[in-house]
Amino acid sequence: MEAFTRFTNQTQGRDRLFRATQYTCMLLRYLLEPKADKEKVVMKLKKLESSVSTGRKWFRLGNVVHAVQATQQSIHATALVPRLCLTLANLNRVVYFVCDTVLWARSVGLSSSINKEKWRTWAARHYCCSLLLSLARDLYEISLQMERAARDKARRDEALSRDPLGHSVADEGTEWLQAFLLLLFRSLRRHPPLLLDTVKNLCDILNPLDQLGIYKSNPGVIGLGGLVSSVAGIITVAWPQLKLKIH
Amino acid sequence: MDAWVRFSAQSQARDRLCRAAQYACSLLGHALQKRGASPELQKQIRQLEGHLSLGRKLLRLGNSADALESAKRAVHLSDVVLRFCITVSHLNRALYFACDNVLWAGKSGLAPRVDQEKWAQRSFRYYLFSLIMNLSRDAYEIRLLMEQESSGYSRRQKGSGGGTPGGSETGGPGDPGTPGGGLPQIALKLQLRVLLLARVLRGNPPLLLDVVRNACDLFIPLDKLGLWRCGPGIVGLCGLVSSILSILTLICPWLRLKP
Repeated sequence: MEAFTRFTNQTQGRDRLFRATQYTCMLLRYLLEPKADKEKVVMKLKKLESSVSTGRKWFRLGNVVHAVQATQQSIHATALVPRLCLTLANLNRVVYFVCDTVLWARSVGLSSSINKEKWRTWAARHYCCSLLLSLARDLYEISLQMERAARDKARRDEALSRDPLGHSVADEGTEWLQAFLLLLFRSLRRHPPLLLDTVKNLCDILNPLDQLGIYKSNPGVIGLGGLVSSVAGIITVAWPQLKLKIH
Repeated sequence: MDAWVRFSAQSQARDRLCRAAQYACSLLGHALQKRGASPELQKQIRQLEGHLSLGRKLLRLGNSADALESAKRAVHLSDVVLRFCITVSHLNRALYFACDNVLWAGKSGLAPRVDQEKWAQRSFRYYLFSLIMNLSRDAYEIRLLMEQESSGYSRRQKGSGGGTPGGSETGGPGDPGTPGGGLPQIALKLQLRVLLLARVLRGNPPLLLDVVRNACDLFIPLDKLGLWRCGPGIVGLCGLVSSILSILTLICPWLRLKP
């Protein structure tokens, strides 16, 4: 219980738990809606999802400052590609949180002249851009790790004096793909924070893509994606060493 | 900016900010009503207060575990009175949060058959018991410190060669009162007691903060349970003051009263 209280004492921990609950409700609703006698359960899931979603807005108030601070930190990254990608991603997050605050003001009734649809589209657009830039950074880091893994493998093969070109020309295509996937798997396995971050960003991007109409999927896929990314977020909060650091 | 990030990373800090905003809205709404402001503005303020209240109920889900954990820690205290007061206070808080969770389930539509009034009364009752325990603990600490202070004073008096003429008035409870004490004598005794209390509290800011906070918080359940109706203005003001004081203890952890 002590670990649970330590976890929930952090705002981000609590927020991730609620996010996981919200997307689980979305997923369960999608699975149970076609069933005949589950209307009451579906109704309750909808109410829980909407009240958790509304309540989570209070967690996000003031996150503009967090995003500005993250932008300042990412300017100091050493390599050019991560510096560029992360700074732009965090700038997009700043704009997303500003739009989110405006939507919050609308939802609590502070200002009724706000065009909800317009601001929602802007928020989704900037969130999508920030996720794409984060994924670009992840791909860059993955390519670095794969290069490193390939060099290590070549050095090991040389040491064992194995002929690296000993394969038939006919199998070159599938063998290349196999070797690539193996290398990818190995580099991600050696670097869990990178794996978690990539999975999180991939799952998160489904929601804004659906909202913007770029890639329409069903609530079940979005719910599952949201749940997986929330679990990844919970893992990074509970074990901070698994968070992808800026070098 | 860094300070805000660190502060808002604690979920308790966010809850206290929302609480301050909620009671500020309540106070503002009452003030606007008295001055006859537009009903549109009053409705907006009331709506915001309602949203804050419901949002805070969601934020507080899971606080029962935190209160039980604190109660478990308090069981190991050495002083019997402190152990009793703090443990019972945390247990009552845990029950208050449990009732609050039931109220949230009712308000958000998950359990529509929940009797809101009954559970609200229950939750305020547990909150009141917890505050009474906190104030008892504060009174006990004050008494210990006053005893310490007055025995220290009388030791200093003895050390400086003979006490004040007419007997020492700053003795502890074991001090034999001067014979035939009239009203002026009692008034003097009371004045000295009050001065000693002021000195003790001034020298111990965490204790002073805790006393003021609990005293302000006490008005809320007293009003809601109908024991002492003070009106929404006083409730709003007291809630706002106690929220600001607890935000202070979060920003400056040395101002937090340690058992």
